[in-house]
Amino acid sequence: MKFSVLGTAGALAGIAIGALMLANPVLAAQQAPSLDEMVSSGALPPVDERLPENPLVVDPVESVGTYGGIWHSALRGGLDNAWIARTVAYDGLVRYDREWKEIIPNLAESWEVSEDSRSYTFHLRKGLKWNNGKPFTADDIAFAVELFKEPSYGAGTFIKNPQNPVTIEVVDETTFTLNFENPNGTIMDELASVNGLTLVSLSKDYCSQFYPKYNENAAEEAKAAGFETWELWMTDRCGWATETIRWANPDLPFMNAWMIDQPLTGDATRVTFKRNPYYWKVDTEGNQLPYIDGLEMRVSDSVEEITLLALNGQIDFQDRHISTVANQPLFYDGQEEGDYRMGQEIQSSSNTMVIQFNMNHVDEKRRELFANKDFRIGISYAIDRQEIIDAVFTGQGEPYQVAPRPESPFYNETYAKQYTEYDPDKAAEAFEKAGLTKGGDGMYTFADGSPLTITIDTIASLRPEWPDMLELIQLQLEAAGIKMEINNIDRTLYYDKRPLGDYDAQVWGGDGGLDVVQEPRYYMAANAESVWAFRWQAWYNGSTPEIAEEPADWAKQQMDLYTQLRGEGDPDKRAELMTQILTIGQENFPVIGVSLPGDTYYIARNNLKNVPDTMFQAYLFPTPAPYDPFQWYFAQE
Amino acid sequence: MLRFAINRLIAMVLILWAVSFVAFAIIQLPPGDYLTTYVATLSANGDRVDPAAIDALRRQYGFGEPYIVQYWKWITGILLRGDFGQSFEWKAQVTDLIWGRLGNSILVEGLAVILTWLVALPIGIYSAVRKYSLGDYLATVGGFIGLAIPNFFFALILMYLSFVWFGANIGGLFSPEFENARWSLPRIWDFVSHAWAPILVLSLSGTAELIRILRANLLDELKKPYVTTARAKGLSEFRTIIKYPVRVALNPLVSTLGWLLPALVSSSVIVSVVLNLPTAGPMLLRSLTSQDMYLAGAIILLLGVLTVIGTLVSDLLLAWLDPRIRYGGK
Repeated sequence: MKFSVLGTAGALAGIAIGALMLANPVLAAQQAPSLDEMVSSGALPPVDERLPENPLVVDPVESVGTYGGIWHSALRGGLDNAWIARTVAYDGLVRYDREWKEIIPNLAESWEVSEDSRSYTFHLRKGLKWNNGKPFTADDIAFAVELFKEPSYGAGTFIKNPQNPVTIEVVDETTFTLNFENPNGTIMDELASVNGLTLVSLSKDYCSQFYPKYNENAAEEAKAAGFETWELWMTDRCGWATETIRWANPDLPFMNAWMIDQPLTGDATRVTFKRNPYYWKVDTEGNQLPYIDGLEMRVSDSVEEITLLALNGQIDFQDRHISTVANQPLFYDGQEEGDYRMGQEIQSSSNTMVIQFNMNHVDEKRRELFANKDFRIGISYAIDRQEIIDAVFTGQGEPYQVAPRPESPFYNETYAKQYTEYDPDKAAEAFEKAGLTKGGDGMYTFADGSPLTITIDTIASLRPEWPDMLELIQLQLEAAGIKMEINNIDRTLYYDKRPLGDYDAQVWGGDGGLDVVQEPRYYMAANAESVWAFRWQAWYNGSTPEIAEEPADWAKQQMDLYTQLRGEGDPDKRAELMTQILTIGQENFPVIGVSLPGDTYYIARNNLKNVPDTMFQAYLFPTPAPYDPFQWYFAQE
Repeated sequence: MLRFAINRLIAMVLILWAVSFVAFAIIQLPPGDYLTTYVATLSANGDRVDPAAIDALRRQYGFGEPYIVQYWKWITGILLRGDFGQSFEWKAQVTDLIWGRLGNSILVEGLAVILTWLVALPIGIYSAVRKYSLGDYLATVGGFIGLAIPNFFFALILMYLSFVWFGANIGGLFSPEFENARWSLPRIWDFVSHAWAPILVLSLSGTAELIRILRANLLDELKKPYVTTARAKGLSEFRTIIKYPVRVALNPLVSTLGWLLPALVSSSVIVSVVLNLPTAGPMLLRSLTSQDMYLAGAIILLLGVLTVIGTLVSDLLLAWLDPRIRYGGK
């Protein structure tokens, strides 16, 4: 069965249709030549015994490939686990198709949802095995739920969500049901995203030895191993999902196409992965995947070094860290010499920089001003976006508000373009309407004549272009009569300031341009990243009741709609609810955007095949993993 | 001399205790804690964490305990068990993480220091003795260039040139096949073929500086009467210079030797990042920005220990080198 995903992008030319599900492979399964010897020597069972009864049949992007080769790439320092998440780790119960439109089967071959969207029953493939040959069953998933429910065990997952507790019921070896206390309409998206991996990342057979519930000596053994508590020992041995520590333990069983060869330890200078002989996917001709023998990631603190490696043709596929605007001409010119090509990546982000004025400011006067829509409209008109695009982004992108991207089914031109023209007269008009008065020096003051200076917080170390953009905006606002200061601070201070509520404004990237439903932080006060209404979101989420404030009516209306959406099982109805939320967002214009990010790129060696020419770039949809790297292959010379 | 050394050792213990206390305080100074940076990192990746999970982590790691309790746990762990605590970010024992990297640091930087002295001493002496000769001018120009080029920039230029000219990458310390191998002749050769670049980069500005200092010191000494006396007594020119003025001119260099040991570990952070050297510098930088408390604390404490030991060594050396030095003032 297929399940429609909300809030993701429309069809994209150049991307092949997602993996097709066939009942059974037509041909007898084949395996990589490197495994033949292990099978004939008896070290491995034959391929038919390793595959599940009903392996996932993957439709190659271009053609059936050939076995062999090593995929070289690089990690920026040892804690760049996100690249491993994006290449090796993405194998949850379900996954996104290559168009980011639908949720398709993966470890689970099918699932049913109850009428009230409270219980979800999954059917795993029969005969799935971990890379150590032990069976993967519903018990492994029940074990993960049990462990993550421990209040003393810190794992970031929906299983810990206090607002919608979940229990698991194991029906038989391959069937289990998740029962939520309240309706849950977004869980399939969560499971298909990179965050869905937590549920399937632990082998009960291996990990239960560290858990006092199953091993009464676990606490002492943890102490003997040098850990204060069993939780720390468990975290060390059985890191969940995509945690860095997960890649440091080669004994930990995996369900991924490649498994750890040289682990990611603190002093590792490279990390390698090798083929998992028990991987449970085949191509349309019955060849067991993956095609590529292994991965080798150089651990390098130096982006310059990674860039040079790529230019030199020593990297087979990479986008992370190196595909910057500044490097683009360099990579373009080096294509022939380095024998690589550049592919297009469409960013999921809706904006290069989002300015979030703090509507919940602790200072009464400022709160009133920032919550005034006319003030924000005035600021928006006073910004000359084209100047910023030309100066900072070499002309790439277009003036844009914080609204769904043009590729999204939720795209709405009015929302995307309102107040984006540079118009000092309209700005002045809006400031007057907001109750500001012009002082003798041509600068606006509060109505009572007290001086007005707005301070915008930013983090230069995170995005070097933000201070550049803000410096231009500072000049533009000054010309419009608004005094502005740039406050460049460390990111921890950035986060610590949020609950205190005394910041004027903070900036951040435009998350949620394609993943509109999953990440609505700028359309409504949805989560702790809705910095423009931090106290309203606290009221909605109930996580920090001591600072919660009752939201304005329109914001409350959005929250009601989103609560309904979360409990709604029907995709069409959810789309309708989201559209209503967006309409209210458009009317109330909570945050100010600058420009739509231009496309970015990946680089791939010319002999690497089955890589689509165009990809979406996102994290919840962990590019390039949804484009099935296990079916990429190196063409024979 | 012995009494002097013992007194200094006792003082060292007290100083080290103070260093540990201050080190622990410093790493706790920035706002927030490791979990704040953890949330910020996830968020920068486009991800989010449930506040409930963060609360559980906070309990798991024992954040929120008073400073003095955390300090006590930390310092007793180090003294009684040699346990520097856990790195939050790596979720591993600090002791497992730092020794390999410290070893690399000391190896690479130690070689750089040796190269610096080997090159700088003869040049410095030469340019003082042959003041305003062609060689002196060359050494002066070279020295100023060396001082003026930032290390990391020199590293970038070297990387770029070796890419353009040889198509080779000079980052790192070993080729993949030797990374985890045991030391052997081929591995030493592999190390040398990689390490020349960082050693060259790291020794450049030090060499330039040393040449200038030595030249200036020596010029002062060369004019003094004792040099004339030595010459008058018929000592060969070489012996005259090496035995007397050079020995005195080395005094300021030796007395700053104490700073050399910690500099071995921490001076080359940016160069190490640019050249991707698996040394302690980048790890310290990273642990500080992510507030990985115990890891940063361990490295800072070790730097403190090295400074204190270095100062002791330089005092002892100085006493040996310069007979005019007295032990303890009376």
